[in-house]
Amino acid sequence: MKKKKNLAPYAYVIPGLLMVLGFVYIPIIVNLVYSFFRLSSYSASMKFVGLDNFRRLFTNETFPIMIRNNVYYCVISLICQVGFGTFLAFMLESNLIGDRFKTVCRNIYFIPALVSLTAVGMMFNFIYNPQMGLLNTMLKHFGFVSLQQTWLGDRNLAIFCIIAMSQWQFTGYITLLMVVAFQNVSRDYIEAAVIDGAGPVRRAWNIVLPLAKEQLLVCSIITVIGAFKLFTEVYSTTVGGPGNSSQVLGLFLYQNAFLHDDMGMAAATGVLIFIITVTASIFQLKVSHSGEV
Amino acid sequence: MTRKFKKALSLGMAAIMTLGLTACGGSSDSTATTAAGGAATTADASAPAASGDTKVIKLFHRFPDDPCNGFIESKIAEYESLHPEIKFEVTSAQNQPYKEKIKVVVGSDECPDIFFSFCGEFSERFIREGLLLDLTPYMEADQEWKDSLMESQMKEYTTADGMVYGIPFRLDAKEFFYNKDIFTKLGLEAPQTWDQFIEVLDKIKESGMDPIAEGNQDKWPSAHYIGALNEQLVTDETRAADYNPKSGEFTDPGYAEALEKYQQLVSYMNIGVNGMTHDMARLGFTQGQNAILFGELVEITNIKQENPDLNWGMFKFPEIEGAKGNMNLVSGAPEGFAVSSKTKYPDECVEFLKWFLGAETGAQQAEQVGWFNASKGLDKTLTDESLKSAYDVIANAEKMDIWFDNALYSTVCDEYLTQISDITNGDVTPTDAMAKIQKVAKEAQSLAQ
Repeated sequence: MKKKKNLAPYAYVIPGLLMVLGFVYIPIIVNLVYSFFRLSSYSASMKFVGLDNFRRLFTNETFPIMIRNNVYYCVISLICQVGFGTFLAFMLESNLIGDRFKTVCRNIYFIPALVSLTAVGMMFNFIYNPQMGLLNTMLKHFGFVSLQQTWLGDRNLAIFCIIAMSQWQFTGYITLLMVVAFQNVSRDYIEAAVIDGAGPVRRAWNIVLPLAKEQLLVCSIITVIGAFKLFTEVYSTTVGGPGNSSQVLGLFLYQNAFLHDDMGMAAATGVLIFIITVTASIFQLKVSHSGEV
Repeated sequence: MTRKFKKALSLGMAAIMTLGLTACGGSSDSTATTAAGGAATTADASAPAASGDTKVIKLFHRFPDDPCNGFIESKIAEYESLHPEIKFEVTSAQNQPYKEKIKVVVGSDECPDIFFSFCGEFSERFIREGLLLDLTPYMEADQEWKDSLMESQMKEYTTADGMVYGIPFRLDAKEFFYNKDIFTKLGLEAPQTWDQFIEVLDKIKESGMDPIAEGNQDKWPSAHYIGALNEQLVTDETRAADYNPKSGEFTDPGYAEALEKYQQLVSYMNIGVNGMTHDMARLGFTQGQNAILFGELVEITNIKQENPDLNWGMFKFPEIEGAKGNMNLVSGAPEGFAVSSKTKYPDECVEFLKWFLGAETGAQQAEQVGWFNASKGLDKTLTDESLKSAYDVIANAEKMDIWFDNALYSTVCDEYLTQISDITNGDVTPTDAMAKIQKVAKEAQSLAQ
């Protein structure tokens, strides 16, 4: 007997599919095409230049600086947000802290993530202000005058100041995601482990963490992707300065598109960011054996 | 408990994602909700839009902050009541997002009829694409109008082949502002030459104060020193050739000398020049912690807001004795409005600009906003002394020298600003900086067709 094909589910899927196609996949392909042309946003003329945009991108003097800054951001975020954030989540789920205090902590950690990125940038501009900023004032107050810096104005420190700002903002976000994952871990396993005599560290490491692996993976993927799409944090503070010392790929893309009327170069940068993020995501999925327990 | 928590969590997540989305829009969304697509209008919504007689003129400007925004709105309402057949749709955005938005809309069918446009390269790239209306015939037809505007300012809105493409809305120039009380206390006088200037700076520094307030986080403020120094240290012809992307080389030794002179000034500035914005640094001047500010005339409004009691004066950029360049230039440029070449109502647009950027409105604008347009004789009605002297600076200028960062081709400008930023920190020498700028200028020759 032949089963009659049910078409209704497909009909429901198609509108969404078309939207994704129209707003995500087609632009990606168009972007790839643009990266081989020289064009600006207001002019109708397009000139085919082959791989020249990519050559100019890779030989640009700021290119190594951008990659370095994005990698710094990525590595530090993985350690601080995902690593330390997960540790905080463990603490919040452990029996070391009282229930009420847990909720308070969770909210305190999470609130920075609710603030708009631009607002955070503005705020940290004041904190880092060398003359009247909170940071230098505090250092002076506690007698560490020698530690006072120009922060965002120092080429060696600027990018780290920006990275620090992001850690402040998003560690609590990862913590919250991990808390949810840990709460989903069945109590049965943990009780069984307790009966077998496993201490808190072993329980966390060998039982809870492997069971929350998928969530951990999601967290690390969004962190890595976020690191290479980095834009607003830099744009709202140093705009790449001093010199080019805090330049990143996302800002470079934007400046080429809207400041230098070089949409082709911007598209080429977009392609590079896309390749990096896709590769990093696939790599993480493979390494973590996602889907297997 | 967990379920409740999860529910709250998912709501929270939704909130974050929305926040994330708005944050991604970042610069644009936060500043100008009205700008996108020209959704919001100041025109009365109940007006009979269907009636065929109504002419809708779209106007896009970059002054969303009061008092200017309120002034523009009130003037447009006034114009609409005088001309019932015309309705305006006004949108605005902050400076930085404005520059991006206008580039995107100007080539499209959504292009506003009248829009703010910087003079020089910013507008000329649109002219190369045939996007701006040639105002020359209108000026020729109305000699009275032409004569009522300052030539030195109109020159900036005229191309090399004589096409007038914009009318100034506010005039601006860069001057040194100084704290008169501090100068009197230390027995100093406003310097006229570079050597006197350095002497003054030394004396202020000896008194235990950082003489100059400056913040270069946005990179353009320091470029204005270089622009002013280049005027004096490099001849007009050489600069004209170098600022043109097709022939720019920047090999004249005067450019490196300008960077050296700037480096000398940095040692007299407040700490952390690169670590704060110009506006923040200005507070140092207005609060009396620094004695000197290299500021724009349009900042007078801010100085008055920040400290109405400050006793201040102005002096010109000091003359470098024996320099081979031009000593009589004033750094600065008018900012004004242009008309799209695609507009359906060119005559109406020009008629409006004549009124909006004319003497009568200009006098009210100076009174209410503290900025003046290019109409002659505004000083007759000005009551405020500081505005009067500011107006004199521009009215007496024989020729303006457009802002350095506006004069340069975008990639050259970017490199120049980057190098100046590094020089401010002492991370690069003037000679090395110029070598890098020369390299980018060479590349730009092939990019600028």
